[in-house]
Amino acid sequence: MPKITFVSPDGSRTTVEASDGDSVMQTALANGVEGIVAECGGAMMCATCHVYVDEDWKSAVGEASGDEGAMLDFAASEVRPESRLSCQIAVTDDLDGLVVHLPDAQI
Amino acid sequence: MGFAPTDETITIDQLTRDPYSVYRRLRAEAPVVTVKSIGRTLLTKAADTRAVKDNAALFSNNDPNTPMQRAFQAHTLMRKDGEEHMRERMAMTPTFSPANLKNLWIPAYEKLAGEYLDRLPRDEVVDLFPALAGPLAARILAIILGIPDATDEEMQYWSQALIDGAGNFGYADEPFARVDACHAAMNAMVESRVPLLKAEPDQSALSVMINAEDPIPFSQVLANLKIAIGGGINEPRDSLLTVLYGLLTNPDQLDEIKRTGNWSGAFEEGLRWVAPIQASSRCANEDTQIRGVDIRKGEIIMTVQASANHDEELFEDGHLYNALRPKTSHQSFGSGPHHCMGTHLARATIGRIMLPMIFERFPDMELVEPEKVVWWGFGFRGPLSLPVRLN
Repeated sequence: MPKITFVSPDGSRTTVEASDGDSVMQTALANGVEGIVAECGGAMMCATCHVYVDEDWKSAVGEASGDEGAMLDFAASEVRPESRLSCQIAVTDDLDGLVVHLPDAQI
Repeated sequence: MGFAPTDETITIDQLTRDPYSVYRRLRAEAPVVTVKSIGRTLLTKAADTRAVKDNAALFSNNDPNTPMQRAFQAHTLMRKDGEEHMRERMAMTPTFSPANLKNLWIPAYEKLAGEYLDRLPRDEVVDLFPALAGPLAARILAIILGIPDATDEEMQYWSQALIDGAGNFGYADEPFARVDACHAAMNAMVESRVPLLKAEPDQSALSVMINAEDPIPFSQVLANLKIAIGGGINEPRDSLLTVLYGLLTNPDQLDEIKRTGNWSGAFEEGLRWVAPIQASSRCANEDTQIRGVDIRKGEIIMTVQASANHDEELFEDGHLYNALRPKTSHQSFGSGPHHCMGTHLARATIGRIMLPMIFERFPDMELVEPEKVVWWGFGFRGPLSLPVRLN
């Protein structure tokens, strides 16, 4: 199963195994990763599962879609080119080893 | 483990006056329990309420035996699932886009907030429920929905009639008669705006829905607007009053928030402390289990987010308002496909505009006899008045 590493703002790293087909957001919630709120549960309505995709993974993950980019305007922390809503990143074998950084705040 | 135990002692009156002491006991003793007076199985733990709402495939929004359909004269998106729900929800979504909030609704609210605050009398006791929180929530909603000619009084009257009708579990005649009369008035108001908005479209909900490329039926346009009227006034009103009560009764916290400017944190804590929408219904699509308790297909579950927000596993002294609480992640906006559409609007308008504005205008605002403020409601909850002296 693909592994995903979440890096907290303080630098601590949590690596968890994802189920194929889950989103990065669902993987975080399923494994109790702090720092992903995901208030709307993946309906792309809330911008509380914001992550920064690690530099090395930017091209593999891709950029936010137009709607996702618009919703990111509501994110509580600074939005950067590598910002994504983690509910919109589906985990596949290609993303095994993915590293995402968590923002300071989600609300 | 068997089915949920049945509690025959809890009354609707108790849940209306003092729900939190009931929920505290249920979280400890029977977190999955069928309450006879409600006729539903209540979930009071945060993990359970969240899991049910996030699993829309297993737990349907269609609670078939409620007076809501009768009250709304329609099967509304609140009670629909899947594609059908999404289509009706998405019809209204463009109105609430980040760009529209930023460019239209937030500036409109800021201007209105200033005007409504200007009208408040100084140096005398004024009740902020009827003088500010209710009418301001009504005004901005009328504008966003595309029916600006509806007065504050009409909007509030319609809203309350819809709520009373939807909550008319005793199927008494008066609430249905009252809401039926309101439907006639609301329909006339909406219909009068249609030609105008066809000719000159704007970003209001009515305009966006009727001018869409593939519009939803007009009956559902009306139903969507009524859901917004029924649900879009009491929540901003009650949350504003709740946060003000919390801050004014905790002056040390208020001082700290004034210093840090973390009004959003104060707002979130108010929503957590007393959720304006306390409980929601879901219907089990299949036989399943929650916390090891057997749930039958067709059983009606109530997710009590009010209780989830006080869950001892997540919050220390959850019964107390504490604007300085480090973590205020709550379930008051719901979760899953029915997550509140007004979330961002509420956070921006009340959290970031109204709270700093009102304390800047009235830095020494004081609550008059806070012990006399009555908190009321089982499904919806808030203070019935907020008498303050502004100076």
